[in-house]
Order: sequence, then C-alpha cells, then structure tokens
Amino acid sequence: MKKETVAAEIDRRSIWLLLIVKGRRILFFLALLSFLWYIVSIPVPEGLTPAGRNAIAIFFLCLILWVSNVIPLAITSLFAIVLVPLLDVLPRKEVYGLFGNEAVFFILGAFILGGAVMHSGLSNRIALFIMGRFGASPKRLLLSVYLLSAVLSFFMSEHAVAAMLFPIVLDITKSLGLKPGTSGYGKLLFFSLSWGCVIGGVATFLGGARVPLAAGMLREITGKTIDFVSYSVAVLPLVAVMLLVGYLILTRAFPMDVESVEKVHEFLEKRIRAIGKVSYTEYAVGLVLLLTVIAWATIGKITGLSTIALTSVVVLFILRLVRWKDIEAYVNWGVILMYGGAIIMGTALEKSGAASWMAERAFGQWVVNPWTAIAFFSLFALLLTEGMSNAAVIAILLPVGVGLTQRFSMDPRIVTYAIAIPAGLAFALPISTPANAIAISSNYVTVKDMAKLGAVMTVVSWIVFNLVARFYWPLVGLGY
Amino acid sequence: MLRGVRLEALDIEPLAGRAGVGIDIILPGGTPVNVPSDEEFVKDSPYILRKKGDAYAITDLKKEVAVRIVPIPSFYGRKTKTGVLFSDIAKVHGSYAVITPLPYCDFFKNNIECRYCAGNFSGAGKKEKAYSVDEVLETVDAILKEGGLNIIYLSIGFSEGEDGGILFLAPYMREIKKHFNCLIAVEALPPKKNHWIDDTYALGADSVLYNLEIFDQELFEAICPGRAKSIGRGRYIIALKYAAGVFPNGTVASHLIVGLEPPGSTCMGIDFLTGIGVVPILPIYRPKKGGALRIEPLTGEVIIPIYKHLYRAVKKNNINMNWVRDISSITTPIEGRLLTGEGQGGINLIFDQFYKSRLGLKTAWGLSTLRRKLRVKSPKEPEDL
Repeated sequence: MKKETVAAEIDRRSIWLLLIVKGRRILFFLALLSFLWYIVSIPVPEGLTPAGRNAIAIFFLCLILWVSNVIPLAITSLFAIVLVPLLDVLPRKEVYGLFGNEAVFFILGAFILGGAVMHSGLSNRIALFIMGRFGASPKRLLLSVYLLSAVLSFFMSEHAVAAMLFPIVLDITKSLGLKPGTSGYGKLLFFSLSWGCVIGGVATFLGGARVPLAAGMLREITGKTIDFVSYSVAVLPLVAVMLLVGYLILTRAFPMDVESVEKVHEFLEKRIRAIGKVSYTEYAVGLVLLLTVIAWATIGKITGLSTIALTSVVVLFILRLVRWKDIEAYVNWGVILMYGGAIIMGTALEKSGAASWMAERAFGQWVVNPWTAIAFFSLFALLLTEGMSNAAVIAILLPVGVGLTQRFSMDPRIVTYAIAIPAGLAFALPISTPANAIAISSNYVTVKDMAKLGAVMTVVSWIVFNLVARFYWPLVGLGY
Repeated sequence: MLRGVRLEALDIEPLAGRAGVGIDIILPGGTPVNVPSDEEFVKDSPYILRKKGDAYAITDLKKEVAVRIVPIPSFYGRKTKTGVLFSDIAKVHGSYAVITPLPYCDFFKNNIECRYCAGNFSGAGKKEKAYSVDEVLETVDAILKEGGLNIIYLSIGFSEGEDGGILFLAPYMREIKKHFNCLIAVEALPPKKNHWIDDTYALGADSVLYNLEIFDQELFEAICPGRAKSIGRGRYIIALKYAAGVFPNGTVASHLIVGLEPPGSTCMGIDFLTGIGVVPILPIYRPKKGGALRIEPLTGEVIIPIYKHLYRAVKKNNINMNWVRDISSITTPIEGRLLTGEGQGGINLIFDQFYKSRLGLKTAWGLSTLRRKLRVKSPKEPEDL
C-alpha cells in the first residue's frame, strides 16, 4: 500500500484570531463592496454626472485592488469590465467593444513575436555572441551584459530578456568563482542585467506592454495616437543618458574585483559550440522581426502597429517557424486581460467626465502649469512603480493626468509620456519588476544594495526625465 | 456492565446487536450499553434479560427495567465487492462504527501483548492482509447509509515505526474524508514524534485516542509489557498532552480500564488526564475464563463513585464531554453525569438532544472541518498575475 504523509503544521493561535485572520479576505471584500455601495449612493457632487460618480467609485475600488494585489491584476480588470456597464457608466456593448482595442492586439502580437525569437534560440545566440565578441576584459564584459540587456529589451519584453540572460550571467559568475553576496563584480554583473533591462525596456513599444497600454488608453480617451518612431525618438536620449549615469553609479558603487575574464571566454565558446550553426528558423525569425520593426517605423502610422504585429505573427505560423504550443508559454494572457480592463476603466473615467473632475480636485492646487504637471506625474509614477505593477500605475494615473491636461491646453501625449516612461523605471525593490527580482535571486545582489542604489537611481531618473522633457522634447514637437 | 445479563429468551440472539462480545442494549435514558452476556462470569449474574411481549426488560426478579435491544445493523450480513463481510471490517458500538483495517498487533508476535487484550487484534496472519481502502470505503458507505452512525472509529494495533500507525491509516483517513461527511476518531498508539500527532489531525482525524489503560506505573508495566517496553508510560502522557493542544477540546481521550488497578489509582488517573485536557473513558475489565487480573471486590459500590468522579473531574477542568460519548462498551463522562444526578434537565437536556440529532452531528462535522481548515497550515500557493 502506498504510504503517504502530510508534514502538517498546526496553527495554535486562538481560534477567534484565526477566524479573523483567515476571514479577513471576506471582510476585506465586504468592506470594499460596502465602500462601492456608499459612493454610488451619495448625492452627485456638483460638476459631476451620476455616471461620473459611479466611474470614480469603480476607479477607487480598482485602485485598492490593484495596489493591494489581493486578487490578480487581470481579475481586477475583469471586475471593472463587469462594473462599468452594471453601474451605467458606459453601455455594455461599448465596454466589450473597447476590449478589442488595438493596443491589446499589439501586446498579443509582441508577446508572440518575442516568444518566437526566444524559442528559435536567436536571442540566446545573440547574447552569447555579443558577450564572447566584446567581453575581452572585465570592464568590457560588464558593458556587454549591460548594453546587451538594454538593447535586447528594445525588441523584447524586458522580463523575457532578464529571464533569458540570467542563466548565462550566473554561469559567468560561477566560472569566475565569484562569491555570492560579497563579490563586487558579481553584484555589478547582476545589477547590469537588471538595470540594463529596466532602462532599455522604456526605449520602444516592445520593451514592455505598458507603452502600448498607455497609447491605447490615450487613443480611447482623446483620439490622439502615438506612433512607434516618434515615441522612440522622444525617449532614446533619456535612455542613453540613463544608461550612462547608471553605469557610472554602478562602477563607483562596487569594485571590479576580478583581473581576467579568460575563463568566461572558455565557457562562452563552449556554449556557442554547443548550439551549433545558425539554423534556418533563427534566420527566418530574425528576418521576420527585422521586417516587422522596419514596417513599424515606416508604415506604422498608416496601417497601425497591431496590424503589422499580427501580420508578422501570421507569417511566423505560415512559415511554420513556431507552433502554437511553443508560443502559448510566452503569451501572458493575464497581462492582456489586465490591459483590456485598464483601457475600459480609463475610457469610462474620461467619457463620464470623472477624470477631469477628479484631477481638478485632487491635483489642481499643486499642478499649476504644464511643467509642474510633468514633474508631479513623473514623480508619482516613479514612486508608485516601485511598489506596484507598472501597468497598474498607468491605469491609475493616466486618466487623471489626461484629464488635467485639458486645463492647460497641453498635448495629452506629453503627460502620457510623463506617466508611461517613469512607470517603467523601477530600480529600488525586487517586487518592482521581475528584472530586479531575478537579480536578487542570484544571491549576489542583496535587497539592501538594491534599495540603496535604486533610491539614488530613482532620484536621478526623475531629474534626467524632467530635463529631457524640458529641453529636448520641444525639439521633437512635444513642446509645452 | 459489571455482572452481565443472562439471556433467557431464546429469540434474543438473532436480534441482538452483537459487537463481538456482549449484547448492545439501550437504557431508558437513551444510553447505549454493551452488556456482557457470553463470558464465564455472567452465569452468576443476578440479572436476566427477558422478553415481554414485543419489548425487553432486565430484571433481578425484584425490580425490572425496560430496555431496548439494538437491532443488528442491516449491513452486517452484506459483503464488499471483494466478498468480505462488512461485519468483519466494522463493528457498531453505540454511535461509533469501529473499523480495524489491519487486525494485527506486533505485541502478539513478541509475546508482549496486553494481558487483558480482548480487542480486534492478534498476532496471527500477516501484515499484508489489511483490508483495502476500497473495502473500507464500501463499508463506511454502508455504515452511513444505515443512519444514526456518523463517527467512524479507526483502530490500529502496535507496529514498529515512529508514526504510531498513522502512515498506515493515512490513506484510509484521506479517502474517507474525501468521500463522506463524517467524523473520524483514531485509536492508535502514541507516535514517537509529536509531528505525527499534527499529521493525524491534518489528515482528518476529529478525535484521537491513545489508551493508557492503566495509570499505576507498576501495574502498567506488568499488565501492558509491550506498551511499557516499546512506548513507555511517559510517552503516552507527553503525546496525550500534546494532542490535547492540537485537537479540539474534549476530543482527545484515553481508556482507563476499571478493575485492573485499585479504584484510587483510577481516580488519580482521571485527575491527571483531565488536568492535561484529556477525556478519560472507562471500560470495565471483563475477565476471560481463568483470567485473574481483576481487582476484587469490584462491585457497584466501588465503581459508581469512580464514574461520578469522572464526570466531576471533566466538568471541573472545563473539558467538553459531548464529543466522546455514546460508546456502548465504555463509560464516558456523560454517563457519569447520569449517575451523579447533576445536570439532568434544562439546557443540558436540550444540548443532549441536539448532539444526538442529525443536525447536531452535521454541525459537529461542519465545525470540526472549519477548525481544521483554520488550524492546518498548507503550503503557500504561488501568486499569479
């Protein structure tokens, strides 16, 4: 007979305490629903419609759920989708129609394209090649990791890049015999990995799904669009400065306590030999990706980014470069649901007049001109993104920020950038972004290291971002 | 229970709820009792069980008390799909159905079995001859369909190993809990490590019994050589105390056999066990032919004060006495209460009726399940997006 055991642990605290502790989830939701009911039953404040009042109630409910993460972010979004028509904020047909937003399909396409690149082994090969080719000295190897993480994050989700490079960097530290927790070079390598991904991830629409989300929300709320090239043109100088400043901060914070990286080369060569010559699939996937990026840059405004992304996806499958079961693991359906819901929430706030009403009352006294608007929202986004999902930061701040721009006749794209870009710059905590969590999981970087340097980097990010916005953006047509 | 009854009516035999030995009857207050009827000493009993029309009565020829005979459960005559009689797997004792999946005890193998042992164990046969989980599940299904029984009492003899038999019982407990809404009591030997007690609770046992049997140290060693040698009296006490901290109030119990040690010693045992939160329950030693273990004289005058003391000690220590009750072959604190004449009416009567009712059993099951859900920590689920 099969023997089994449970290795149980018994909680011996008072049963009443346990009831409260374990029932707190139900109590929490009861309190939340009571709060929702209270808001929707109070008299409509001056300047607001009943739909606007209800939209605000749903917004705060989602805000609490997104921040607390009591239920998955995607489920909070579904909750919003349910509540918006139920409380007569928007018609049901319109709500579900909003889910078919272009941004949602762009994100889906980007996931599949990124998945195809990773699955083909192309990204791994590029990583190994770059490190092997350019990492001749400790300094150059470090730069290779740093820049490679950043550049790959221009084209793939930064989370995927961090996950892909992690085992390679870990093997590098092992081949050098670096001691976890104390080795300065070990810390540098993993900080380079995470910071490279974080900074590189804001450079294009592809680094993370937050920019397409912000663009989608902006389009639904105001009708204005952001295209692939103009976004990157606005952001690349910021990325360049941040990469430089980040490198300087890191190399001054930790010593490079290795003299030679010859052993790394042996290891990289072995890995490169092991993966063999470039396969047909790698060539073909690389070509599809290249053509996709060119199409985004050239005809993206005419056809729409999502159309190009989905066309490329179809081509990948026509050419049998990937199979659906290979790709499924790379498609984060939770993120797609979450973004669909966030777009609906943002539209509901805007169309009901709740966004501008809230913005006026909440930030009106501090935000007195466009400059303060950018400073204020970028700071908020930087701080919030350390503790919560960057997509949630956008979902919360963007409708309010766009609402406020109407006051200054400001281009809403500027405040969209002021929220979407800093929302991706999370440096201080492992919970902020998977790239940071991956660095911590190496055991070379400690939470204390990350918090200390991350705080410095957050301040630097805010200053650099505002300087870029103030002096560079007017040069590319984003004046205020 | 002390003297037994002589069966005068010939037609009682096929009607009697036989739990192996004796005859199960219901006293006027609704208390189930297993009365010795087959043992050698019964032939000297002044009590006779008689049939009066359609009813039954026990008489000593001076007074007469009307009783009911517990009918033989209908499932006794049926078999599992594998052809095993349900009555071989399970025996009904009052509101409990006792299942012994492996009627084997290692003490017999080494000739260190308990000297009074009249249980369902032996050293004959092999360990591999255990009833399968499916056979036990079929039996439990039949028991529960019978109605009135909602407590499955799983019993296991001694086997080498530090788990006290819990590893063996685990799949039975797990599957019974998975398929049926019933309470499970586990009678086992104390495991060597306390974490097995946690596991016993986590696996679904609602009540646990580690039967010390004899409180007096010397008599314990002499009469229970296997228990003394392989487990030790100290370990019994530690395990019982620990279990009382894990299981709900009033669900950890231990037998103290009346008649195997002086009454004073039994009373000391009652005081000690109730002091650590354990419910002492008192079977009476039924000597076999030629058995000479019984303390004499053992009369009603000697044992009734013990039962009264049992009730008062349990009450004094605020131990819930509604859990371990209505086991026909054993005297529990609730029956002790009847003898004291205390707490016979009012709220106690209402509670008694409630605990015995279908709703009461369902409530007990629900509360027990909720408590386990609150108390047992399960590994944290990974967070998703």
